[in-house]
Amino acid sequence: MERFKKMNKQAIIMSKEVPVANKIKTDLHEILDIRYLTDSTFVLRIEKKELDFEAGQHVCVGPPNGIHTREYSIYSAEQDDCLEILVKEVENGLVSPSLKKLQKGGFVVVEEPVGYFTINKNLPANQKYVFIASGTGISPFHSFVLSKPDLNYTLLHGVKYAEEAYEADAFNKEDYVLCTSQESKGDYNGRVTDYLKTNSFGKDAHYYLCGNCNMIHDVYDILEEQGVSTDNIHAEVYF
Amino acid sequence: MKYHLVTLGCQMNQSDSERVKRVLEGMGAQWTDDENDANIIGILACSVRQKAIDKVYSKIANWNKRKASQNLITFISGCILPADKKKFLKLFDIVFAMRELPQFPQMMSQYGITTPVGLEKDNLNPKEEMSFFWQVKPKYNSSFEAFIPIQNGCDKFCSFCAVPYTRGREVSRPSQEIIDEVKSLVEKGYKSITLLGQNVNSYGLDKKGNELSFSQLLEEIGKIGNESSQTFWVYFTSPHPRDMGRDVVEVIAKYDCLAKQIHLPIQSGDDKVLIKMNRKHSVKKYRETVSVIRELIPQATLFTDIIVGFSGETEEQFQNTRKALKEFEYNMAYIAMYSKRPGAASYSWPDDVDLKVKKERLVLLSEDLAEVAGSYNRNMLGNVYSVLVRDTDRKGGYLSSQTEGKITVRFASEDQSLIGQIVNVKITSASNFSVEGELVEVSELVE
Repeated sequence: MERFKKMNKQAIIMSKEVPVANKIKTDLHEILDIRYLTDSTFVLRIEKKELDFEAGQHVCVGPPNGIHTREYSIYSAEQDDCLEILVKEVENGLVSPSLKKLQKGGFVVVEEPVGYFTINKNLPANQKYVFIASGTGISPFHSFVLSKPDLNYTLLHGVKYAEEAYEADAFNKEDYVLCTSQESKGDYNGRVTDYLKTNSFGKDAHYYLCGNCNMIHDVYDILEEQGVSTDNIHAEVYF
Repeated sequence: MKYHLVTLGCQMNQSDSERVKRVLEGMGAQWTDDENDANIIGILACSVRQKAIDKVYSKIANWNKRKASQNLITFISGCILPADKKKFLKLFDIVFAMRELPQFPQMMSQYGITTPVGLEKDNLNPKEEMSFFWQVKPKYNSSFEAFIPIQNGCDKFCSFCAVPYTRGREVSRPSQEIIDEVKSLVEKGYKSITLLGQNVNSYGLDKKGNELSFSQLLEEIGKIGNESSQTFWVYFTSPHPRDMGRDVVEVIAKYDCLAKQIHLPIQSGDDKVLIKMNRKHSVKKYRETVSVIRELIPQATLFTDIIVGFSGETEEQFQNTRKALKEFEYNMAYIAMYSKRPGAASYSWPDDVDLKVKKERLVLLSEDLAEVAGSYNRNMLGNVYSVLVRDTDRKGGYLSSQTEGKITVRFASEDQSLIGQIVNVKITSASNFSVEGELVEVSELVE
């Protein structure tokens, strides 16, 4: 066993004090601020460095001394000089509990932004968009709207309780519908799917769906029934 | 000093193994088929199936026992999930990411073995490390069939797959290196060249306009074929349906050397399953791509990958996959029963399709495949095809070969000098997954 211990030590030295298991990670970014939105949900504001992204893309983020990363949609605007992600602590999650323990001035590992859940640049400027989110699935839409203030959109945000509206001030009041399923404090008392069944936005709109898979499947069915082409439906599943 | 290398998993690992061998032999090590005879033993791991990872643990347990009586150094690389990597650090002497291969001699020298190779590169990011990795010349395993990595990593994050967490983000290899390697292989007489990557058709996208696109890369390779007097076939695997544009199909149609065989993984024929798999394309989008292939390259064979019994897959959703298989008339489908992989997003979801049901679905789909593939094969009867002779066949007195479209053809011959050659064979009988023929001298070729 002594031989193995010595070898492991050498392996760590070879990799510049970062455990070899961590070498897949690309860069450490400083945490500039943490905003708690609920007991379990918070916004991590982190150094952007040279990372450019397109609204709707995601980054893999993890604690500096851990071995795991997870994908988080970028919450901030393309033009901001920092990067923000919206994190909800998942019980027994691989990454979010560790992120929650971090503090301002600490570091996170951030990999290059990637992803395809973006606004199609070939669509006309006045294109109607319907954004449908559940929970922290609001994150890419927050980035869309802050990055492109002239977007013609309606945002349906499905949550259990109104406190999960997560900085809804970023959206135009008339374009934002908070659907609360467990209380009547939102704009609509019920699920986003219930709202959508009675409020059609037409076949020409482009629908962006982000959140849990069940919500996305249900919305997909409703849109199909309403005659929306699958070409106009874009989905980003949160796991 | 002798070495042995165990390579598990996909063609990408096979390709990586050719570079590992080159580095080891550059250090003066000699290959041995017998792992008990080796002083250096390595393994290129695969994280796609739990079975492959279990094999790693079994191997290293045996090797570590040998250390009590033998001077032995062990190493591991390949596709390794972070959690496994942490465990391997305690079990293997050297653990490295494949992109760190150029530094391998340096790592070895730190274990007391002096090597003639030394690299001074340090403080590299993964992209820089990959560029050094690709500069390592491979020691090709075959004299007529070669694999060229053109890209590493994956940005797609399919929920059933752990590759984005083992190989990191997509990094494209410089096109000039790829073109040079193709030229060099063609000059050496290679007949089958496969461009490898997790998502080959998103080649170049990571360079944001500063690199050729995949279709442009294929065009450059096509020109090599036009300028060469050699007959050779260039394949690629795997493309992602999302990025499979008309431009790629047009280029394949345009150049003879670009093989008329396309592997286009569908995974499921149901839109909702595709959403849950995070595949980022619909059946409609897939259908459009297949239509373009059928329109521009009607003679192309079509291969695919399918997962049955994915988390939550209903009977109706499975039936949609059966419909898709019949509609797209695949020549081959690699069908797998879903199993959870630690590290993949779907790991936390219930594996709720009963194993018995998965097996039934696998059988049904295999039967459907046999029907459509067999129908294609029977249409080959009486026609003459160029085939690349690859090996002796299991059937005594026969050689095994493949058409340009990768249909397996066996024919009676004991002339082993034909292995590695392209010859003409007239098809005389057909079964669902292979055909049989006879060697002919001159012919009217169908493919």
